Amino acid sequence: MFIEDVFSGAVRYGSSVIFATQGEVISERAGVINLGMEGSMLCGALAAFATASATGSAVLGIFAGVAAGAVLAALHAFLVLWRGANQLASGLAISFLGLGLTAALGVSFVSKQITGLGAIEIPVLSDIPIIGPGLFAQDILTYLALILPFILVFLLARTRWGLVLRATGERPEVARAYGYDPRRVRAVATTIGGALGGLGGSQLVLAYTLNWVENVTVGRGFVAVALVIFGAWKPVQAAIGGLVFGAALSLQLQLQARGVDVSIWLLQMTPYVLTLLVLTITSRRQSQQIPEGLKAVFGGGKAA
Amino acid sequence: MTATTPTAPSASPPPILALAKRHAAWLGPTIAVVIILGSLPFFGISLPDVLIRCCPLLLTALAVTIPARTGLVNVGGEGQFFLGALGAAVVASGLSESTPSLVAIVLIALGGMVFGALWAGLAALLKVASGVNETISTLLLNYVAALIVAYAVTGPLQDPEAANFPIGAPIPDSARLPLIGDVHVGVIVALVCAVGVSWLLARTRWGFKARAAGGNPIAALRGGLPVASLIVGALLLGGLLAGLGGALEVMGPDGRLRQGLGVGFGFLGFLASWLALHRPGWVVASVVLIASISVGGDSLQIDLSLPATSVYVVTATVLLVVLGWRGNRTGEQS
Repeated sequence: MFIEDVFSGAVRYGSSVIFATQGEVISERAGVINLGMEGSMLCGALAAFATASATGSAVLGIFAGVAAGAVLAALHAFLVLWRGANQLASGLAISFLGLGLTAALGVSFVSKQITGLGAIEIPVLSDIPIIGPGLFAQDILTYLALILPFILVFLLARTRWGLVLRATGERPEVARAYGYDPRRVRAVATTIGGALGGLGGSQLVLAYTLNWVENVTVGRGFVAVALVIFGAWKPVQAAIGGLVFGAALSLQLQLQARGVDVSIWLLQMTPYVLTLLVLTITSRRQSQQIPEGLKAVFGGGKAA
Repeated sequence: MTATTPTAPSASPPPILALAKRHAAWLGPTIAVVIILGSLPFFGISLPDVLIRCCPLLLTALAVTIPARTGLVNVGGEGQFFLGALGAAVVASGLSESTPSLVAIVLIALGGMVFGALWAGLAALLKVASGVNETISTLLLNYVAALIVAYAVTGPLQDPEAANFPIGAPIPDSARLPLIGDVHVGVIVALVCAVGVSWLLARTRWGFKARAAGGNPIAALRGGLPVASLIVGALLLGGLLAGLGGALEVMGPDGRLRQGLGVGFGFLGFLASWLALHRPGWVVASVVLIASISVGGDSLQIDLSLPATSVYVVTATVLLVVLGWRGNRTGEQS
């Protein structure tokens, strides 16, 4: 059934982006923009794929993917927070580094096959028409992507950790007054964010593509950064953006599979065009919501 | 970070040093270029290949430089280059062998510049009208641009004789760029553009305003500078240069539009401009360096059968080191 397939695809294809948006939310709420998210996703994807291919265990792959994503983000944190590097330039350079590294190291994995994460069907619920297969017949990481935004909302709003994180992003001097080193908090948040990006990359190869190609993420990490703005730095809204991106991708694949006579190239543009479109509609309004600590980098002209 | 305290002048330099300092903007980079080019034979890298590679990279780098000095991060050189190549192919498809060479070349170059500028203009419009951050929009537009080219060379612009290869029809021979030795004249055009950008930023009223807007946009706005139109102008100029790069690549080495033409050039140009802290003279030098790495990497990649993007590892690492090393001091520039 068409709608059911599109919805199910939206959830599965959107999950990798959801993880990346959640990671970016954590990082940006603490005051660090991480355009290296694309690099974290790519390195996470390759690490996960390589590990799954070598050990035959997709679960081990997840751990490797998370670690790889975290390492790249930690590098970004170090350069930005300790060496005063420009956030946007450092993030982009890290994304290029990830792209180059995974292209070079991934060559030998191009034709390899892996056993991905299997779908876990939840009885009864997965038989609900239209939304059942999408929400209740997915792999473990996709379930996690659906729950994570709500966990993050709770963590940010209701825990000490969340309070310190938000304070660091809005008023670092307040965090410092309470005995927290803003730089340390930001570094930890950025690294966790990158780890989630790596998790997203893992989901992409372990649950969706099941093979490795150069630049497998094709901009999903950058899309995630855009969707965080769209989501006004709120976890659930950003995740909805991820689902919309997934839906555009899914719709495009479904139309292609059904032999609709539109150029595949034009169809492939839909997710990017849609992301730009939602940004255009919401950017002006969202600029009120931007964390104080980000204004110097994102809001004004000067990026330093 | 916003307050740029001038570094305390220890003593005013003697006149001869002041004179040398005025021309130092190009002296240092020239020495660097000579050293890099002179050392190529030791690495077995072909000088003409490096010069030919400099042409697209210099233009995509300058496409980053002008917006950067205006306080904008244009990561869209890649897409603007693609669209420039597309514009060139569109114009070329309307020309015939009988079109005089100079006319054909100028028309195709204009086509590339217009397409490139429009693509960057889209990001400028989104920023000025809707407040969309240009870093994000130019990044995303790159993916769209690549797909537009893919669509064109598999559809409307596909070479009818190409048997389903994703390539456009060859452009007329009269529109191919003349060669000086083994190098096409586009390299000189690119160098002239670099000098032009340097002059524009350093010596013109527009350049002064643009740099003022880049240095402190709020102060510029309060001071009555037309910040929005400066932003649009800077991005249009950047896109125009990257688009020219795409057109020159079509008229130069390639002779036609094809899928994957110039992939990575926009990003390498981005790295080059940031490496040089957006000072035009040093942008030339860093482009020569990155072009050398890129050409040297090509043969290495063929030997080791690595994909072309592997060269990012080297160039991105260099930029990360530079960012980390001098990041604390970037506040001093301009």
